[in-house]
Amino acid sequence: MPRIRFTNLFAERIGGVNSVDVQGATIESSLRALTDRHPDLTPLVWAKDGALNSLMVLFLNNRQLGAAEIGTPVGPSDEIDIVSALEGG
Amino acid sequence: MRTSFDESHSNPRAVAYARATIDLASRDVRIEDVPCRNLEDVLGGFGRSFQILAERTITHAFTPDNPLIINTGALTASNVTTGLRTYFSAYSPLKASNKGLPAAMWSAGSCKFGPKLKWTGLDEVILEGRADAPVYLVIRHSEQGPQIGFEPAGDLIGLTCHEKIMWLRDRYADAHFAAIGPAGEHYEDCYMAAVALSTENQLKSGDDKCRWAGRGGMGAVMGYKRVLAIVAQAPDRLAKLKPEIRDINKAVTSGPGSRKFREKEKGGLGGTWSNYEPLEKFHFVPQNNFRPAGDGKPELMFRDNVQPDFVVKAESCFRCGISCHKNVYEKNADGTRGAFLAKFDYEPLNLLSTNLGIHDPRKATVLISLVDRLGMDNISVGTTISYVMDYNQRHPDKPILNGATFGDFDKARELVEGAGTGKFPEVGRGVKRLSQSLGETGYAMHCKGLEFPAYQPDTNPGYPWAIAGGHMSMATYMALALEGNTSLDYWASLITQRGLYFVRDDLLGLCKFAGVTGDHVVEALKQEIGFEVTTAELLAGVRRSFVRALWLERRQGYDRAEYTMPSEVFDRPNPNLGVPPFVTREFFSELSDRVWAVFDKEIDEMAKA
Repeated sequence: MPRIRFTNLFAERIGGVNSVDVQGATIESSLRALTDRHPDLTPLVWAKDGALNSLMVLFLNNRQLGAAEIGTPVGPSDEIDIVSALEGG
Repeated sequence: MRTSFDESHSNPRAVAYARATIDLASRDVRIEDVPCRNLEDVLGGFGRSFQILAERTITHAFTPDNPLIINTGALTASNVTTGLRTYFSAYSPLKASNKGLPAAMWSAGSCKFGPKLKWTGLDEVILEGRADAPVYLVIRHSEQGPQIGFEPAGDLIGLTCHEKIMWLRDRYADAHFAAIGPAGEHYEDCYMAAVALSTENQLKSGDDKCRWAGRGGMGAVMGYKRVLAIVAQAPDRLAKLKPEIRDINKAVTSGPGSRKFREKEKGGLGGTWSNYEPLEKFHFVPQNNFRPAGDGKPELMFRDNVQPDFVVKAESCFRCGISCHKNVYEKNADGTRGAFLAKFDYEPLNLLSTNLGIHDPRKATVLISLVDRLGMDNISVGTTISYVMDYNQRHPDKPILNGATFGDFDKARELVEGAGTGKFPEVGRGVKRLSQSLGETGYAMHCKGLEFPAYQPDTNPGYPWAIAGGHMSMATYMALALEGNTSLDYWASLITQRGLYFVRDDLLGLCKFAGVTGDHVVEALKQEIGFEVTTAELLAGVRRSFVRALWLERRQGYDRAEYTMPSEVFDRPNPNLGVPPFVTREFFSELSDRVWAVFDKEIDEMAKA
C-alpha cells in the first residue's frame, strides 16, 4: 500500500498520526482513500470544487509533482507527501 | 539538566536544572540546581520562564525588579536537529496593556549560543537588577563548574550587533555570543530592540548573519540592564548520537515537516520567502500598511523574479540540514557570488519592502540589513513605519516625522535609522503608542501592543489570542487561505483547540521549521534526558503554558476590549482581497464570546491553583 506522509498541520486533526498507508492505484485515489478514512482532512486536501487544494503541493518519492500529475500511478512501496505551500514566517 | 530517576522516569521532581542568578548591581552570582516542579519546568523555555515571571509583581519594564531570563529547552544542545533555541523572557516594554502595565513576553532565537550556554553547565541565567555601568558577561565552562565574569563594555558602546559579535569573536575562542545593538542601547526610545545571536557562519565568514530573539523588546530590557553582550564559552559537548535520534533527524531533514523550508533541489519549496506566491493568489500579501491593492506588484518580490540579479544561497544554523536561511549576495559579472547583502525571509522582506510600497529587492536588502545592524525587530519596525506612511498619506497637510509616504525608500531608511538610534522614539516605541498619541488607532496594525506580522488581519481573527506575536504563537494566520472556512465553529475551534499548540517548540528548544512530530518529541525526550512523557501529557503541558500566558495578560491589566482587531478591519473592508470580508463586528463579537467561554474557565482554574 502506498504511504501518505504529511505535516503536523494534518496530524493534529487525526490524533497526531503523521502518515497513513492507504489503498490506491493513483495519487488521487490514494488521497481520496485518505480523506474517506479521515474526513477531517478533507478541507485541507480538496478544494470545494473537488480538485486538489491549490495550496497543497505533492511529492512522489521526493519528486515534486504538478497538480496535473495527480493521476500518476503509485505502487505499494511509494511514498506520497502532501505539504502546504504556505508555512512559517 | 540532572536527573535522579528511581522507578519512574516520568516524575518531573526527579529532574533538576542548573540556574545562575546574577545580581548585576552587586555582582553577586548564585549557581544552583533547581528541582523541577512540574512538566513545564522540565520542558523549559517559556513554560518555565513564565512561572518565574508569574511570581513577580512588575509595573514597568524598565525597573531593576524585572528579570531578564535567558534559558533553554530540554532539547537545546541535544543531538536532535534544530535543538538550538535560546529563550529570552521578561516583562516587555513593547507589549503593554491599556492600563500601562507590561506583559510577560518571550522571544526565541536559534544557532549555537543556546548550546554553548548549556555546555558551560547552565540551563538558565536570570539577570536581576541593573549594572552601574555598561558591561558584558562572560560565562565559561570550567572543571569546577560554570564561571561568570563581568567585563567593562566601553569598547562595545555604539557598535552594531554584528560589530559587537566580531569584537568578541576576536577575544574569545570557542565561544558564541548574544548582543544588543544601538537600538538596545537606546532602550528608552526603542522598545522594539532585539537580541542578536551569533552563528557559526557569521563567525567564520565575518558576514553579518546573526539570528534573532526579535519580538517584544527583550533587547531593550537587556539594554536597560546595561548588559551589552553575553559570551558563552565552552567546548562542544555533544553526546554520542544514538540510533533513535539519528532516525528522528533523518525523518526531520528528509520528511514532509521541513519541506517548506528546504531548497527545491533538496525536495523543498524554497523557504518562507516562497509564501509570496500562494498568498498573492488571494491578494493576501500586505501592501501599503496591510491594504493589498490587487495590482500585481508583490510579484516583483517573488524569488524567481529576484534571483536572476543576485546569488541566493541556502545556509543553515549549526548542524541543521534544513538550510532555511536564504541569503542574498551580490552577483559578480562572471556570475559568481559577491558580497553578502541580507537574508530574505517572508516577514522582513514584506514588511520592509512591499508593505512600505517599495518594490525593489536591492532596496529591501538595504533596509533589512540596516534593521539587523541596529538590532531591532523587523516586524515591529516595519509595521510601525507603514503606519507612519499611511498617516502621512491621509494627512498630506500635516505629515509627521520626516513626512515619509509609501514608496519613499530614502525616508524609510531615515525612519529605520532614527528608530534604532533614538532619534525617532515615535517609531521606536511602536505603533500602539504612536497611534494613540495621534488619536488614529483604526489602522495601527497591532494587538496588545505587538505589531502584526506580514499576514492580513482581515484574514485572521485569531490574532488577538496570540500570546507572543501574531503568527508564531497562534497558528491561525494562514487558515483562511488554506481552507477558506469562515464559520464561527471553525474559528473558535481553531483558536482554542489547535492554533495554540503552535507554541510547543517554544518550550522544547526546537525550531518550528523542523516540523518534528509529537511521537518524535516524546522519543527524543526519552533518549536525550531519560524523561518519559506521553504525547497527551506533553500537549497538556503546552496548553497549561499557553493558558498561563493569558492569565498573566489578565493580571497585567488587559481587559477583554483589548482582544480585538484594528477597527478598520471591521469598518473599511478591502474589496481587493480574494475572498469576501468575513471579520465583521458581529462575527468577531460572537467569536470572542465563544473563545473566552473556553479560556475563561481554564484561566480561572489556573488562578485558583
